[in-house]
Amino acid sequence: MGTREILTLQFGQYSNFIGTHWWNLQEAGFTYKSDDISEINHDTLYREGVSPRREVTFTPRLLSVDLRDGLKALPEVGELYGGLQLPSTSELNWNENAVEVKKEDCDDKSQFLKDLAGASNVEEVLNKDYDFERDVTVWSDYLYSRFHPRTVNVVKQFEYGNVNTPFDVFPLGKEVWKTEQFEEDFTDKIRNYVEECDSFQGFHMLTDCTNAFAGMSSSCLEYLQDEYERKSVLVFPVIPSHFPDNDYETEKERQDSLMSDSIRLMNLALSYNAYNEFSSLFIPLCTSEKGFRQPGLKRSFHNTEYNHKLPYHSSAILASALDTFTLKHRLKTSGFNLVDLCVDLNMVGRKCASASLCFPFCINKNVDLIDCLDQWDGPLTKSITPSCEIGTDRQMQHITIRGIPESRLKGPPHNAEKQRDLPAFKCKTVSEMLTFYYQCTQYASATNVTSVQKALPVKTPFPKFFNQKLDFTGNFTNSEQLSKPESIPVLAGLHTGAEIGVMLEKLHTETRKIKFKRFNAFISGGIENDDFEECLDNIFTLRENYEDNYFL
Amino acid sequence: MAISLLNPKAEVARAAQALAVNISAAKGIQDVMKSNLGPKGTMKMLVSGAGDIKITKDGNVLLHEMQIQHPTASLIARASTAQDDMTGDGTTSTVLVIGELLKQADIYISEGLHPRILAEGFDKARAKALEVLEKIKIPVEASRESLMDVCKTSLRTKVHQKLADVLAEVCVDGILAIKQGDKPVDLHMVELMEMQHKTEADTSLVKGIVMDHGCRHPDMPKQLKNAYILTCNVSMEYEKSEVNSGFFYKTAEEREKMVTAERDFIMQRVRKVVELKKKLCDGTDKSFAVINQKGIDPMSLDMLAKEGIMALRRAKRRNMERLALACGGVAVNSLDDLNESHLGYAGLVYEHVLGENKYTFVEECKVPQSVTILMKAPNKHTLLQIRDAVRDGLRAINNAIEDKAVIPGAGAFEVAANKELLAFKDTVKGKARLGVAAYAEALLVIPKVLATNSGFDAQDTIVKLQEESRLNPDPVGVDLTSGEPVNPKDAGIFDNYIVKKQIINSCSVIASNLILVDEIMRAGMSSLKG
Ligand SMILES: Nc1ncnc2c1ncn2[C@@H]1O[C@H](COP(=O)(O)OP(=O)(O)O)[C@@H](O)[C@H]1O
Ligand SMILES: [Mg+2]
Repeated sequence: MGTREILTLQFGQYSNFIGTHWWNLQEAGFTYKSDDISEINHDTLYREGVSPRREVTFTPRLLSVDLRDGLKALPEVGELYGGLQLPSTSELNWNENAVEVKKEDCDDKSQFLKDLAGASNVEEVLNKDYDFERDVTVWSDYLYSRFHPRTVNVVKQFEYGNVNTPFDVFPLGKEVWKTEQFEEDFTDKIRNYVEECDSFQGFHMLTDCTNAFAGMSSSCLEYLQDEYERKSVLVFPVIPSHFPDNDYETEKERQDSLMSDSIRLMNLALSYNAYNEFSSLFIPLCTSEKGFRQPGLKRSFHNTEYNHKLPYHSSAILASALDTFTLKHRLKTSGFNLVDLCVDLNMVGRKCASASLCFPFCINKNVDLIDCLDQWDGPLTKSITPSCEIGTDRQMQHITIRGIPESRLKGPPHNAEKQRDLPAFKCKTVSEMLTFYYQCTQYASATNVTSVQKALPVKTPFPKFFNQKLDFTGNFTNSEQLSKPESIPVLAGLHTGAEIGVMLEKLHTETRKIKFKRFNAFISGGIENDDFEECLDNIFTLRENYEDNYFL
Repeated sequence: MAISLLNPKAEVARAAQALAVNISAAKGIQDVMKSNLGPKGTMKMLVSGAGDIKITKDGNVLLHEMQIQHPTASLIARASTAQDDMTGDGTTSTVLVIGELLKQADIYISEGLHPRILAEGFDKARAKALEVLEKIKIPVEASRESLMDVCKTSLRTKVHQKLADVLAEVCVDGILAIKQGDKPVDLHMVELMEMQHKTEADTSLVKGIVMDHGCRHPDMPKQLKNAYILTCNVSMEYEKSEVNSGFFYKTAEEREKMVTAERDFIMQRVRKVVELKKKLCDGTDKSFAVINQKGIDPMSLDMLAKEGIMALRRAKRRNMERLALACGGVAVNSLDDLNESHLGYAGLVYEHVLGENKYTFVEECKVPQSVTILMKAPNKHTLLQIRDAVRDGLRAINNAIEDKAVIPGAGAFEVAANKELLAFKDTVKGKARLGVAAYAEALLVIPKVLATNSGFDAQDTIVKLQEESRLNPDPVGVDLTSGEPVNPKDAGIFDNYIVKKQIINSCSVIASNLILVDEIMRAGMSSLKG
């Protein structure tokens, strides 16, 4: 199978937090040994290029958008292709004596970045521990990947630090999209990437959906639909697990936070409406239970002690899920494409799907998968789609498990002992056994399972938030381990079922309560009450596509 | 603030305070921008904390690179942006004049003049200044010479003279090439193409199209002569579509069948192109190029390469129109009934490879009604600097064509307007005349700063200019090499009419808003809401 390329788009800060982990962990999985043949085709998401110094580069096929102060030490043009050398005043096409140089203070580079820049051996840096929990304020603080000069796009008109003019409402994002920087330059960059591809299959889009980036990604999608109509676009709207303003103390702060919750919810509703119209499939992600009006309680994952108030932590979990459930259309051997995934889940207009995760996949050291599943208590995975649980019947689902080698399936025939009594003993592969497991535990569901040998790499700069009893391969042991996990097994799934209808109904009910006319920023941005009503109606209609009698 | 403190007196105090804040903010940005003005102003190199470099002399760009949090300052910044959007020039002048109007206002208001009356005077002065502008304007034809003058004046304030003159030539020739009679010029038909080149630095006009991509097949010709050009928007790639996809709904055989049918369908399309090429070119010295807005997959590329056809995929949408204008023919959306009349012609088509980037040149077109300005520089920031300058140059030329007039520069308009406003002042009844006087004085900031930036004393210069202006009916500007009066017409220094007009209008409006504090507070608030 030749490479079927995908272009990734990231809109907004939280999307970039997730994206950063995602690119980091993919690169942690690169192997340069020729005997170790990877199952994953990295050319799907990466591109090969040549720098002006004639060095071969391998960089994410990526366009990322953020506000200026969301970048800190990361230069817009990157350093890989040069261009950061200060020109002498004589090169400025002006009288040398009338040149004024204004240098901003150097933003502090995180210790990790400093070490990376100065490292003679990068491996050493990746084996060190850092206090990322304290050091990370923006995603570039833990960015290991190096980018093509096309990749980073900065919205200059807004800053996170400027509280007077926040980039907070849907129409602002649409407005910025209409500027030359996006309508011309950004779309040209998309074209440049796509033109290079021999067998381009579509887009992955990660986008913040509770701030103005919601509007921006909606406009972008509309453009993609227009210009690349036959390509698939898989959208992941993401919601941070925590908003600092929800930790209010005074009455005024409480009032402000309530307003912000309403604004975020309206952005969410407006963007879901656009994603429904213009994407092939969209899958909302959040590590907290509700997502709206507030993120709600954090979801817990086995053997992981994460701080949901740190985007650095929660985004790592979502990145692990993304990397895992997109594997199926990124393998070297499979003929499974992005469009197959979309079609399997979006039938009868079910444009919204849900995702779930088992992180790490809980398996005891030296235990076979068959016994692990036999003794499993409760559902295998946990939902990571806000306000949506994963159903146990009438599901269409794609499941991916990684890091469980076929040798862990079951005991050898001659000393399998009790395993022989289990019906699953007949299964010959990991994917067959998991499929069988789902058949036994879920009613009227269609499940397709992919198994990938390669575990998820979790070395620095991935958070070290795992239970100490996990060994270096992420298997559970009875005692505290000296070394931390270097990789972990993960199971992740994408689903469609009646529960998504329930989620859309909740969204509709909550959004209905908002008095749209009180939110001048939306109205002055050109969204009329009728538009908002229509958006709500569309969400309500979309919900109907998930009613049981339509399906299976 | 607690409610009880809000007595009427406090309101007044607050208003006075807010006025003071506005004035100091306006002075603040005036101070930052002053040094930029004119051909002797300073170039600024901004280096971000992360190391990104921006080189500019443009007031508007500077305002946006600096983060502006102050509502007054951001109002002024928006006026300058509006100026730029509408005319493409005059942004530094806008900021300077607004700042100066506020400084003048400060003096009168502190002496007890009510801001309302002052604003009234500003408005009267604005109307009069427009009259002066009409009188002083010089009608021009869209001749190469007069367009060169205005374009050079503008560009020499952006890049040094040598480069400015090269760029001016390129811009003027570019526009003249695509200008058709009295029809308005569509600036989009002059494409700007950037090439990052380690050793070469020059800007040239290509009378044809340059695209930022090339062939994606090793056996395709890299150069064609005497070429038919097919411009189309037709997919030539096999794409797995929703109908033949999905794991759950179709058997493998069903899917395979549909795939084969779909592939055949694409091949049929490509064969149509091949057939036409054979019919027209085989046995002649003609060749064939396909430029497609949609994709072309390796299998199709292979079929085309075997016939010696050069094929480009994913061309920019706007280039479809531009290719038709440059080469003739039409951009087709379907290959049914394809024939020779759909095709364009170019004498030369060739590919140029630069690192990981490819470029394709389509040249030697018969009557190119779309052209390309090709900029080469060793790095991104220089390319951007030149791109900004070229854009300004093109706008300046286009303004002059549309205005059918230009204005003598070097402060000549401001000196003339100052003189006439001072005379006009005496005819204005009541204290509003003070507003007219303030306005007259404020305009002089332009010649003053031009002089200061060239190392001359502002006061001396103004005195000389005013004296000369009394004696001489011709426009009087300042010669920046000598500090002496000069007739800008003789020196070839011309500004755009529309630029000055826009400055006159917007400055008095913004300055009035800023002194009428209540209104500004509201304007400020609504600007906050975005
Ligand atoms: N050669 C020159 N001699 C004197 N004045 C000039 C000359 N060239 C331009 N100017 C003046 O410089 C001013 C424009 O300066 P510029 O830096 O372009 O600022 P702006 O952003 O306001 O256009 C105009 O008033 C113009 O008349
Ligand atoms: Mg200018």
